[in-house]
Amino acid sequence: MGKTVVVGVGEFAVSNDPGEVIKTFALGSCVAVIFLHKPTRTVGLIHVALPESSISPDIVRDRPGYFVDTGIPAILKKMAACATPGANLTQGMMVKIAGGANVLDTNNTFNIGKRNVLALKKILWPLGMGPVAEDVGGSISRTVSVSVETGKIALSSPTKGVWEL
Amino acid sequence: MNRQEKQAAVREAINKVPLISSAAARLLELSGESEHGIVDIVNIVKYDAVLTSQILKVVNSAAFARRTEVYSIDHAVSLLGEDMVVGIAMSEAAALLFDKKLEGYAAEAGSLWRHDLKTAIAAKIIAGYARTKVNGDLAFTCGLLHDLGKGVLSDFLRNTPEKIRRAMEEKKVPDYAAAERAILGIDHAEAGYELSLNWNLPAPLPQAIRFHHQPALIDEALKPLLYTIHLADIVAMMSGVGTGSDDLQYTLDTAYEMYIPLSGNELAMVMLGVEQEFSKAAAVFLGKEEEASE
Ligand SMILES: [Fe+2]
Ligand SMILES: [Fe+2]
Repeated sequence: MGKTVVVGVGEFAVSNDPGEVIKTFALGSCVAVIFLHKPTRTVGLIHVALPESSISPDIVRDRPGYFVDTGIPAILKKMAACATPGANLTQGMMVKIAGGANVLDTNNTFNIGKRNVLALKKILWPLGMGPVAEDVGGSISRTVSVSVETGKIALSSPTKGVWEL
Repeated sequence: MNRQEKQAAVREAINKVPLISSAAARLLELSGESEHGIVDIVNIVKYDAVLTSQILKVVNSAAFARRTEVYSIDHAVSLLGEDMVVGIAMSEAAALLFDKKLEGYAAEAGSLWRHDLKTAIAAKIIAGYARTKVNGDLAFTCGLLHDLGKGVLSDFLRNTPEKIRRAMEEKKVPDYAAAERAILGIDHAEAGYELSLNWNLPAPLPQAIRFHHQPALIDEALKPLLYTIHLADIVAMMSGVGTGSDDLQYTLDTAYEMYIPLSGNELAMVMLGVEQEFSKAAAVFLGKEEEASE
Protein backbone atom coordinates (compact mmCIF):
# COMPACT_ATOMS: atom_id res chain seq x y z
CA MET A 1 0.00 0.00 0.00
CA GLY A 2 1.04 3.60 -0.50
CA LYS A 3 1.68 6.36 1.91
CA THR A 4 -0.90 7.72 4.34
CA VAL A 5 -0.81 11.47 4.86
CA VAL A 6 -2.35 12.40 8.24
CA VAL A 7 -4.04 15.78 8.53
CA GLY A 8 -4.33 17.28 12.03
CA VAL A 9 -6.73 19.91 13.36
CA GLY A 10 -6.41 23.10 11.32
CA GLU A 11 -4.23 21.43 8.70
CA PHE A 12 -4.80 20.50 5.08
CA ALA A 13 -3.16 18.32 2.47
CA VAL A 14 -3.30 18.19 -1.30
CA SER A 15 -2.08 15.35 -3.49
CA ASN A 16 -2.12 13.99 -7.01
CA ASP A 17 0.00 10.96 -6.17
CA PRO A 18 -2.26 7.94 -6.78
CA GLY A 19 -0.33 5.95 -4.19
CA GLU A 20 -1.42 8.23 -1.37
CA VAL A 21 -4.28 8.15 1.12
CA ILE A 22 -5.20 11.32 3.00
CA LYS A 23 -6.61 10.72 6.45
CA THR A 24 -7.90 12.75 9.39
CA PHE A 25 -8.95 11.35 12.76
CA ALA A 26 -11.91 11.89 15.10
CA LEU A 27 -13.50 15.06 13.76
CA GLY A 28 -15.82 15.82 16.68
CA SER A 29 -17.39 19.22 15.95
CA CYS A 30 -14.72 19.90 13.32
CA VAL A 31 -15.50 19.37 9.65
CA ALA A 32 -13.44 17.69 6.93
CA VAL A 33 -13.92 19.15 3.47
CA ILE A 34 -12.79 16.92 0.64
CA PHE A 35 -12.08 18.39 -2.79
CA LEU A 36 -11.99 15.98 -5.71
CA HIS A 37 -10.83 17.42 -9.02
CA LYS A 38 -11.18 14.64 -11.56
CA PRO A 39 -9.78 16.41 -14.65
CA THR A 40 -6.37 16.83 -12.95
CA ARG A 41 -6.73 13.88 -10.52
CA THR A 42 -6.02 16.21 -7.63
CA VAL A 43 -7.44 15.56 -4.16
CA GLY A 44 -7.48 17.89 -1.17
CA LEU A 45 -8.65 17.49 2.42
CA ILE A 46 -8.90 20.17 5.08
CA HIS A 47 -9.82 19.72 8.78
CA VAL A 48 -11.44 22.99 9.88
CA ALA A 49 -12.27 23.63 13.55
CA LEU A 50 -14.09 26.95 13.74
CA PRO A 51 -16.26 29.07 11.47
CA GLU A 52 -14.60 32.48 11.67
CA SER A 53 -11.02 33.71 11.83
CA SER A 54 -11.96 37.16 13.13
CA ILE A 55 -11.71 35.89 16.72
CA SER A 56 -7.96 35.38 16.47
CA PRO A 57 -6.17 37.01 13.54
CA ASP A 58 -2.74 36.00 14.88
CA ILE A 59 -3.48 32.27 14.57
CA VAL A 60 -4.40 32.74 10.92
CA ARG A 61 -0.77 33.34 9.96
CA ASP A 62 0.41 30.00 11.38
CA ARG A 63 -2.66 27.97 10.71
CA PRO A 64 -5.21 29.42 8.27
CA GLY A 65 -6.77 25.95 8.06
CA TYR A 66 -8.24 26.33 11.52
CA PHE A 67 -11.05 28.48 10.25
CA VAL A 68 -13.58 28.03 7.48
CA ASP A 69 -13.18 31.54 6.06
CA THR A 70 -9.39 31.38 5.75
CA GLY A 71 -9.00 27.64 5.28
CA ILE A 72 -11.02 27.21 2.10
CA PRO A 73 -9.12 29.88 0.12
CA ALA A 74 -5.83 28.45 1.44
CA ILE A 75 -6.48 24.89 0.32
CA LEU A 76 -7.86 25.99 -3.05
CA LYS A 77 -4.69 27.96 -3.64
CA LYS A 78 -2.62 24.90 -2.82
CA MET A 79 -4.76 22.75 -5.10
CA ALA A 80 -4.27 25.18 -7.95
CA ALA A 81 -0.52 24.99 -7.40
CA CYS A 82 -0.63 21.20 -7.32
CA ALA A 83 -2.84 20.73 -10.37
CA THR A 84 -1.68 21.16 -13.95
CA PRO A 85 -0.72 24.80 -14.57
CA GLY A 86 -3.56 26.73 -16.07
CA ALA A 87 -6.19 24.14 -15.13
CA ASN A 88 -9.57 25.57 -14.28
CA LEU A 89 -10.37 24.17 -10.85
CA THR A 90 -13.97 25.33 -10.79
CA GLN A 91 -14.67 23.01 -13.75
CA GLY A 92 -15.21 19.45 -12.60
CA MET A 93 -14.60 20.02 -8.91
CA MET A 94 -16.57 17.79 -6.56
CA VAL A 95 -16.83 18.70 -2.89
CA LYS A 96 -17.92 16.46 -0.01
CA ILE A 97 -18.07 17.23 3.71
CA ALA A 98 -18.15 15.18 6.92
CA GLY A 99 -18.12 15.94 10.64
CA GLY A 100 -19.76 18.76 12.57
CA ALA A 101 -20.96 16.53 15.40
CA ASN A 102 -22.16 17.62 18.82
CA VAL A 103 -23.09 16.29 22.22
CA LEU A 104 -26.75 15.52 22.94
CA ASP A 105 -29.18 18.36 23.74
CA THR A 106 -26.65 20.98 22.79
CA ASN A 107 -27.53 24.68 22.65
CA ASN A 108 -26.72 27.24 20.01
CA THR A 109 -23.45 28.34 21.61
CA PHE A 110 -22.11 24.80 21.80
CA ASN A 111 -23.39 23.81 18.38
CA ILE A 112 -20.09 24.68 16.75
CA GLY A 113 -20.47 21.72 14.42
CA LYS A 114 -23.61 23.18 12.87
CA ARG A 115 -22.07 26.65 12.64
CA ASN A 116 -19.04 25.15 10.88
CA VAL A 117 -21.25 23.44 8.31
CA LEU A 118 -23.29 26.61 7.67
CA ALA A 119 -20.18 28.75 7.30
CA LEU A 120 -18.73 26.22 4.86
CA LYS A 121 -21.80 26.21 2.64
CA LYS A 122 -21.89 29.99 2.65
CA ILE A 123 -18.39 30.12 1.25
CA LEU A 124 -18.62 27.08 -1.08
CA TRP A 125 -21.90 27.87 -2.83
CA PRO A 126 -20.81 31.15 -4.42
CA LEU A 127 -17.73 29.33 -5.75
CA GLY A 128 -20.00 26.83 -7.46
CA MET A 129 -18.64 24.16 -5.15
CA GLY A 130 -21.67 23.30 -3.03
CA PRO A 131 -21.16 19.87 -1.41
CA VAL A 132 -22.54 16.99 -3.47
CA ALA A 133 -22.46 14.67 -0.46
CA GLU A 134 -22.41 15.25 3.26
CA ASP A 135 -22.40 13.20 6.44
CA VAL A 136 -22.70 15.81 9.15
CA GLY A 137 -24.20 16.44 12.57
CA GLY A 138 -25.38 13.92 15.12
CA SER A 139 -23.32 12.71 18.07
CA ILE A 140 -20.70 10.68 16.31
CA SER A 141 -17.02 11.45 15.91
CA ARG A 142 -16.00 10.57 12.36
CA THR A 143 -12.64 9.53 10.98
CA VAL A 144 -12.16 10.21 7.26
CA SER A 145 -9.80 8.79 4.68
CA VAL A 146 -9.62 9.50 0.95
CA SER A 147 -7.83 7.47 -1.67
CA VAL A 148 -6.18 9.82 -4.15
CA GLU A 149 -6.30 7.17 -6.86
CA THR A 150 -10.03 6.42 -6.72
CA GLY A 151 -11.39 9.49 -4.94
CA LYS A 152 -13.29 7.08 -2.68
CA ILE A 153 -13.99 8.44 0.80
CA ALA A 154 -14.27 6.10 3.77
CA LEU A 155 -15.82 7.28 7.03
CA SER A 156 -15.49 5.32 10.26
CA SER A 157 -16.32 5.50 13.95
CA PRO A 158 -15.59 3.17 16.89
CA THR A 159 -19.06 1.58 16.93
CA LYS A 160 -20.40 2.02 13.41
CA GLY A 161 -17.55 0.46 11.49
CA VAL A 162 -16.69 1.82 8.03
CA TRP A 163 -19.01 3.33 5.43
CA GLU A 164 -18.64 5.30 2.24
CA LEU A 165 -19.35 8.98 1.70
CA MET B 1 -24.40 -12.53 35.92
CA ASN B 2 -27.39 -10.38 36.73
CA ARG B 3 -27.09 -6.66 37.30
CA GLN B 4 -26.66 -6.96 41.05
CA GLU B 5 -23.86 -9.48 40.67
CA LYS B 6 -22.20 -7.28 38.07
CA GLN B 7 -22.42 -4.26 40.35
CA ALA B 8 -20.82 -6.26 43.14
CA ALA B 9 -18.05 -7.38 40.79
CA VAL B 10 -17.40 -3.75 39.75
CA ARG B 11 -17.18 -2.72 43.41
CA GLU B 12 -14.73 -5.52 44.05
CA ALA B 13 -12.62 -4.32 41.12
CA ILE B 14 -12.70 -0.75 42.46
CA ASN B 15 -11.42 -2.00 45.80
CA LYS B 16 -8.60 -3.84 44.07
CA VAL B 17 -7.21 -0.76 42.30
CA PRO B 18 -3.83 -0.03 43.94
CA LEU B 19 -3.62 3.08 46.10
CA ILE B 20 -1.82 6.07 44.63
CA SER B 21 1.50 7.20 46.11
CA SER B 22 1.30 9.58 49.04
CA ALA B 23 3.13 12.21 47.01
CA ALA B 24 0.49 12.04 44.27
CA ALA B 25 -2.34 12.21 46.82
CA ARG B 26 -0.70 15.17 48.55
CA LEU B 27 -0.26 17.01 45.23
CA LEU B 28 -3.95 16.53 44.41
CA GLU B 29 -4.85 17.87 47.81
CA LEU B 30 -2.56 20.87 47.41
CA SER B 31 -4.27 21.96 44.18
CA GLY B 32 -7.44 22.67 46.18
CA GLU B 33 -5.68 24.88 48.73
CA SER B 34 -5.93 28.55 47.96
CA GLU B 35 -2.46 29.53 49.17
CA HIS B 36 0.26 27.39 47.70
CA GLY B 37 3.29 27.78 45.52
CA ILE B 38 6.14 26.03 43.79
CA VAL B 39 8.00 25.60 47.11
CA ASP B 40 5.16 23.48 48.50
CA ILE B 41 5.22 21.31 45.40
CA VAL B 42 8.99 20.81 45.62
CA ASN B 43 8.59 19.83 49.25
CA ILE B 44 6.21 17.05 48.29
CA VAL B 45 8.08 15.84 45.24
CA LYS B 46 11.57 15.69 46.72
CA TYR B 47 10.65 12.95 49.20
CA ASP B 48 9.50 10.67 46.42
CA ALA B 49 12.49 9.31 44.54
CA VAL B 50 10.51 7.77 41.68
CA LEU B 51 8.54 10.95 41.04
CA THR B 52 11.68 13.08 41.29
CA SER B 53 13.46 11.02 38.68
CA GLN B 54 10.39 11.03 36.45
CA ILE B 55 10.17 14.82 36.60
CA LEU B 56 13.86 15.20 35.82
CA LYS B 57 13.47 12.79 32.93
CA VAL B 58 10.61 14.82 31.46
CA VAL B 59 12.33 18.16 31.87
CA ASN B 60 15.45 16.80 30.20
CA SER B 61 13.54 15.11 27.40
CA ALA B 62 13.67 16.17 23.77
CA ALA B 63 10.32 17.93 24.08
CA PHE B 64 11.88 20.59 26.27
CA ALA B 65 14.90 21.02 24.01
CA ARG B 66 17.09 22.47 26.74
CA ARG B 67 20.74 23.00 25.99
CA THR B 68 21.89 22.26 29.52
CA GLU B 69 20.92 19.36 31.73
CA VAL B 70 18.66 20.16 34.70
CA TYR B 71 19.82 18.39 37.86
CA SER B 72 17.90 20.14 40.65
CA ILE B 73 14.31 19.26 41.39
CA ASP B 74 13.57 22.88 42.39
CA HIS B 75 14.61 24.06 38.97
CA ALA B 76 12.75 21.24 37.22
CA VAL B 77 9.49 21.94 39.06
CA SER B 78 9.65 25.65 38.37
CA LEU B 79 10.32 24.99 34.69
CA LEU B 80 7.42 22.56 34.39
CA GLY B 81 4.86 24.39 36.52
CA GLU B 82 2.28 22.95 38.85
CA ASP B 83 -0.12 21.43 36.28
CA MET B 84 2.59 19.46 34.57
CA VAL B 85 3.95 18.15 37.85
CA VAL B 86 0.48 17.04 38.98
CA GLY B 87 -0.02 15.49 35.56
CA ILE B 88 3.25 13.56 35.73
CA ALA B 89 2.50 12.37 39.28
CA MET B 90 -0.99 11.14 38.31
CA SER B 91 0.07 9.58 35.02
CA GLU B 92 2.50 7.47 37.06
CA ALA B 93 0.25 6.85 40.06
CA ALA B 94 -2.77 5.71 38.05
CA ALA B 95 -0.95 4.40 34.97
CA LEU B 96 -2.78 1.09 35.26
CA LEU B 97 -6.08 2.85 34.55
CA PHE B 98 -4.93 5.67 32.29
CA ASP B 99 -2.85 3.60 29.90
CA LYS B 100 -4.97 0.51 29.46
CA LYS B 101 -6.84 -0.33 26.31
CA LEU B 102 -10.51 0.42 27.01
CA GLU B 103 -12.07 -2.63 25.38
CA GLY B 104 -15.46 -1.89 26.91
CA TYR B 105 -15.44 1.47 25.13
CA ALA B 106 -13.79 0.32 21.89
CA ALA B 107 -10.95 2.73 22.62
CA GLU B 108 -7.21 2.39 22.12
CA ALA B 109 -4.66 2.35 24.92
CA GLY B 110 -3.89 5.89 26.07
CA SER B 111 -7.31 7.29 25.06
CA LEU B 112 -8.35 7.82 28.67
CA TRP B 113 -5.17 9.71 29.48
CA ARG B 114 -5.49 11.96 26.42
CA HIS B 115 -9.15 12.69 27.16
CA ASP B 116 -8.54 13.43 30.84
CA LEU B 117 -5.51 15.59 30.08
CA LYS B 118 -7.43 17.57 27.47
CA THR B 119 -10.37 18.00 29.86
CA ALA B 120 -7.96 19.20 32.57
CA ILE B 121 -6.46 21.82 30.25
CA ALA B 122 -9.92 22.94 29.11
CA ALA B 123 -11.13 23.14 32.73
CA LYS B 124 -8.32 25.47 33.71
CA ILE B 125 -9.09 27.78 30.79
CA ILE B 126 -12.88 27.70 31.29
CA ALA B 127 -12.40 28.44 35.02
CA GLY B 128 -11.30 31.91 33.96
CA TYR B 129 -14.79 32.61 32.58
CA ALA B 130 -16.76 31.63 35.71
CA ARG B 131 -18.90 34.32 37.31
CA THR B 132 -17.65 33.48 40.81
CA LYS B 133 -14.00 32.58 41.09
CA VAL B 134 -13.09 28.98 40.33
CA ASN B 135 -9.62 27.79 41.34
CA GLY B 136 -7.92 26.93 38.04
CA ASP B 137 -5.47 24.44 39.59
CA LEU B 138 -8.33 22.61 41.24
CA ALA B 139 -10.30 22.61 38.00
CA PHE B 140 -7.26 21.10 36.25
CA THR B 141 -6.99 18.35 38.85
CA CYS B 142 -10.70 17.52 38.67
CA GLY B 143 -10.45 17.33 34.88
CA LEU B 144 -7.52 14.94 35.15
CA LEU B 145 -9.48 12.59 37.40
CA HIS B 146 -13.04 12.94 36.13
CA ASP B 147 -13.30 9.79 33.98
CA LEU B 148 -10.99 7.43 35.88
CA GLY B 149 -14.00 5.22 36.59
CA LYS B 150 -13.99 4.17 32.92
CA GLY B 151 -10.69 2.42 33.56
CA VAL B 152 -12.49 0.12 35.98
CA LEU B 153 -15.82 -0.19 34.15
CA SER B 154 -14.25 -1.00 30.80
CA ASP B 155 -13.53 -4.63 31.74
CA PHE B 156 -17.20 -5.16 32.52
CA LEU B 157 -18.49 -3.53 29.33
CA ARG B 158 -16.82 -5.79 26.79
CA ASN B 159 -19.07 -6.48 23.79
CA THR B 160 -21.52 -3.75 24.82
CA PRO B 161 -20.55 -0.76 22.57
CA GLU B 162 -22.66 -1.82 19.56
CA LYS B 163 -25.59 -2.71 21.76
CA ILE B 164 -25.42 0.63 23.56
CA ARG B 165 -25.14 2.53 20.28
CA ARG B 166 -28.39 0.95 19.08
CA ALA B 167 -30.12 1.71 22.39
CA MET B 168 -28.94 5.32 22.13
CA GLU B 169 -30.16 5.60 18.52
CA GLU B 170 -33.54 4.23 19.52
CA LYS B 171 -33.57 6.71 22.42
CA LYS B 172 -34.00 3.94 24.96
CA VAL B 173 -31.41 5.58 27.21
CA PRO B 174 -30.83 9.32 27.64
CA ASP B 175 -27.03 9.16 27.70
CA TYR B 176 -24.10 6.75 27.91
CA ALA B 177 -23.87 6.91 31.70
CA ALA B 178 -27.49 5.76 31.89
CA ALA B 179 -26.60 2.85 29.62
CA GLU B 180 -23.74 1.92 31.95
CA ARG B 181 -26.14 1.98 34.88
CA ALA B 182 -28.69 -0.13 33.00
CA ILE B 183 -26.07 -2.81 32.35
CA LEU B 184 -23.93 -2.68 35.49
CA GLY B 185 -26.01 -0.91 38.11
CA ILE B 186 -23.26 1.71 38.38
CA ASP B 187 -21.85 4.32 35.96
CA HIS B 188 -18.28 5.52 35.41
CA ALA B 189 -18.84 8.71 37.42
CA GLU B 190 -20.00 6.76 40.47
CA ALA B 191 -17.16 4.24 40.04
CA GLY B 192 -14.63 7.08 39.90
CA TYR B 193 -16.22 8.60 42.98
CA GLU B 194 -15.87 5.37 44.95
CA LEU B 195 -12.31 4.95 43.76
CA SER B 196 -11.43 8.48 44.87
CA LEU B 197 -12.91 7.74 48.31
CA ASN B 198 -10.71 4.64 48.53
CA TRP B 199 -7.77 6.86 47.67
CA ASN B 200 -8.79 9.24 50.45
CA LEU B 201 -8.90 12.19 48.09
CA PRO B 202 -10.10 15.34 49.85
CA ALA B 203 -13.33 17.20 49.04
CA PRO B 204 -14.36 18.43 46.55
CA LEU B 205 -12.50 15.97 44.27
CA PRO B 206 -14.76 12.93 44.85
CA GLN B 207 -17.90 15.07 44.44
CA ALA B 208 -16.57 16.65 41.24
CA ILE B 209 -15.92 13.20 39.76
CA ARG B 210 -19.34 11.93 40.79
CA PHE B 211 -21.41 14.73 39.29
CA HIS B 212 -19.49 15.74 36.17
CA HIS B 213 -22.41 14.61 33.97
CA GLN B 214 -25.05 15.86 36.41
CA PRO B 215 -23.72 19.16 37.74
CA ALA B 216 -27.22 20.28 38.72
CA LEU B 217 -27.25 17.71 41.54
CA ILE B 218 -24.34 19.15 43.55
CA ASP B 219 -24.44 21.71 46.37
CA GLU B 220 -24.83 25.27 45.17
CA ALA B 221 -21.37 26.26 46.42
CA LEU B 222 -19.70 23.70 44.16
CA LYS B 223 -21.74 24.43 41.04
CA PRO B 224 -19.29 26.87 39.44
CA LEU B 225 -16.53 24.24 39.68
CA LEU B 226 -18.80 21.42 38.50
CA TYR B 227 -20.11 23.30 35.48
CA THR B 228 -16.51 24.13 34.62
CA ILE B 229 -15.64 20.40 34.56
CA HIS B 230 -18.89 19.58 32.76
CA LEU B 231 -18.13 22.02 29.94
CA ALA B 232 -14.44 21.08 29.79
CA ASP B 233 -15.39 17.44 29.23
CA ILE B 234 -17.70 18.46 26.38
CA VAL B 235 -15.06 20.72 24.84
CA ALA B 236 -12.58 17.80 24.90
CA MET B 237 -15.11 15.54 23.15
CA MET B 238 -16.03 18.20 20.59
CA SER B 239 -12.36 18.63 19.77
CA GLY B 240 -12.17 14.96 18.84
CA VAL B 241 -10.53 13.63 21.99
CA GLY B 242 -13.00 11.21 23.54
CA THR B 243 -12.73 7.67 24.81
CA GLY B 244 -14.26 5.63 21.98
CA SER B 245 -17.84 4.38 21.95
CA ASP B 246 -19.19 6.92 24.46
CA ASP B 247 -17.71 9.90 22.63
CA LEU B 248 -20.26 12.78 22.51
CA GLN B 249 -22.95 10.49 23.97
CA TYR B 250 -23.74 12.83 26.86
CA THR B 251 -26.04 15.80 27.29
CA LEU B 252 -25.09 19.43 27.79
CA ASP B 253 -26.69 20.92 30.92
CA THR B 254 -27.48 24.41 29.68
CA ALA B 255 -27.86 25.74 33.23
CA TYR B 256 -24.09 26.34 32.95
CA GLU B 257 -25.02 29.79 31.61
CA MET B 258 -25.87 30.94 35.13
CA TYR B 259 -22.35 30.15 36.32
CA ILE B 260 -20.21 30.47 33.22
CA PRO B 261 -21.61 33.03 30.80
CA LEU B 262 -19.76 31.99 27.62
CA SER B 263 -20.57 33.62 24.28
CA GLY B 264 -20.08 31.78 21.00
CA ASN B 265 -16.88 33.72 20.30
CA GLU B 266 -15.57 33.08 23.80
CA LEU B 267 -16.19 29.37 23.38
CA ALA B 268 -14.29 29.50 20.10
CA MET B 269 -11.40 31.24 21.92
CA VAL B 270 -11.51 28.56 24.61
CA MET B 271 -11.30 25.85 21.97
CA LEU B 272 -8.34 27.52 20.31
CA GLY B 273 -6.54 27.94 23.63
CA VAL B 274 -7.18 24.32 24.57
CA GLU B 275 -5.77 23.12 21.25
CA GLN B 276 -2.58 25.13 21.72
CA GLU B 277 -2.03 24.12 25.36
CA PHE B 278 -2.81 20.50 24.58
CA SER B 279 -0.29 20.25 21.78
CA LYS B 280 2.37 21.65 24.16
CA ALA B 281 1.41 19.20 26.90
CA ALA B 282 1.14 16.34 24.44
CA ALA B 283 4.70 17.00 23.34
CA VAL B 284 5.81 16.47 26.93
CA PHE B 285 3.53 13.64 27.98
CA LEU B 286 3.07 11.68 24.81
CA GLY B 287 6.62 12.08 23.59
CA LYS B 288 5.44 13.59 20.34
CA GLU B 289 8.22 15.45 18.58
CA GLU B 290 6.88 18.94 18.45
CA GLU B 291 8.73 22.16 18.87
CA ALA B 292 8.39 23.25 22.48
CA SER B 293 8.94 26.89 23.24
CA GLU B 294 10.11 28.28 26.53
FE1 LIG C 1 -17.57 11.14 32.07
FE1 LIG D 1 -15.08 12.82 30.05
